[in-house]
Amino acid sequence: MASSDKLPGAYPARDGGDNLPPGDPTTMKSMMIDKGAAMIQSMKPIKQMSLHLCSFACYGHDPSRQIEVHFYVQRVNEDFLQCAVYDCDTSKPHLIGIEYILSERLFNNLSSEEQKLWHSHDYEIQTGLLVTPRLPELLAKPELQKIAKTYGKFWCTWQTDRGDKLPLGAPSLIMSPQDVNMGKVKPGLLKKRDDKYGISTESLKASRDGIMGLDKKNPMADYWVHHGKGLAVDIIETDMKKCAPFP
Amino acid sequence: MASSGDEDQVPPGDPVTVSTLVIDAGTKIMQRRLPVKQMNTHVSTFAIYGGDMSRQIETHHYIHRVNDEFLQCAVFASDHSDAPLIGIEYVISDRLYENLPQDEQKLWHSHAYEVKSGSWAYPRLPEVVASPELKNIAKTYGKFWCTWQIDRGDKLPMGAPELMMSPQGVGQGVLRPELVKRRDEKYNISTDELKQRRAEIAEPEWINPMADYWKQHGKCFVLDIVTVEMNRNEKFP
Repeated sequence: MASSDKLPGAYPARDGGDNLPPGDPTTMKSMMIDKGAAMIQSMKPIKQMSLHLCSFACYGHDPSRQIEVHFYVQRVNEDFLQCAVYDCDTSKPHLIGIEYILSERLFNNLSSEEQKLWHSHDYEIQTGLLVTPRLPELLAKPELQKIAKTYGKFWCTWQTDRGDKLPLGAPSLIMSPQDVNMGKVKPGLLKKRDDKYGISTESLKASRDGIMGLDKKNPMADYWVHHGKGLAVDIIETDMKKCAPFP
Repeated sequence: MASSGDEDQVPPGDPVTVSTLVIDAGTKIMQRRLPVKQMNTHVSTFAIYGGDMSRQIETHHYIHRVNDEFLQCAVFASDHSDAPLIGIEYVISDRLYENLPQDEQKLWHSHAYEVKSGSWAYPRLPEVVASPELKNIAKTYGKFWCTWQIDRGDKLPMGAPELMMSPQGVGQGVLRPELVKRRDEKYNISTDELKQRRAEIAEPEWINPMADYWKQHGKCFVLDIVTVEMNRNEKFP
């Protein structure tokens, strides 16, 4: 079994509670440095993450494991976006991974070995699975139209969905919902998200009419759909590359 | 790789259009960005590739304090607004670390040397404000996955993530002076001076030998992506 799939060993938390992660609450002293930093320091890269997307994703080695995900997206240029990914959008969110998003043009220039690690976005946008919380569809539509023609690569570094109280093990490669059995989002998961935002994915589907997907979807993307095999990540202990230490 | 812009551009791509800017401005106003707003501290430091310790990089951590024993950080290659997002680091207290299974502990690195040597720095923040926090960080352990290897020239994030290690005072953990000098000049600080000021910060009583695994074991960890069988047509329960 690949490392990204192995369940972690028993992990006792001092407070015995369900705190995720475990740990003493933030003290006043800690808050002081945070406040000082917030006032004095510049947070330029973080301030760029201006678009919030909520969607679903599934594990590349087991698409039946599905999660609700929240992307905080920075558009770096017309062909490239980078996202910090969380498991919720509250004030106690867990940073669970990173997703990169490429235009069709950039994706098609990748090697096929690299392309295997990426997934398409059109299905989740056209079906209304991907939403822009609190942003009217009218404003969101142009951006959704662009993202529908992109590919993404998502590494999950913390498997909170399986109960990990701390980020354990190897990163997992994450895939997008697709129009095949295992890739369809479980109704219970979808309802929970829709109820939270007071939306209906079914009605959003109508407003997404006219959003075009990729001109020609590359068969290396969404690898599991076309090849029937999942992609898992193993950790291997190995010799270090020898190099002279610096004086 | 084809790009319409500068060949050296990382990543390649057309510049943002006016319509994109309008959308971005709209979203900024209308959407709450709660999680990202929690990242309110910037740290400039360095990291080393576990699999090839000749590769050392300057990193910029944007830190969210989740509680007093756990920090989560988005890591960028610079502090500019167009900085590539190159990875994630998690920072935990020694108490939480000691409770991890041994196989997990091997993936983490210690921070004591990084703090005491002055590598770990808070740009523009007076040292007196940072000082209480530094005492805490010195006792923590970190786990850092790098997802974009800009330093080897990747214009886009390629391949599997790499496990990163922290600077140490011995062997392949020693930072190249010119790397430190370049950082110092940018922020008008002196790592040596920080080191002297931090002399009073206590060394942890004990650093777990599973951390900084390379030091005592001479081995590193790399990721391998493997194909696995799965049943595509499995129905939901």
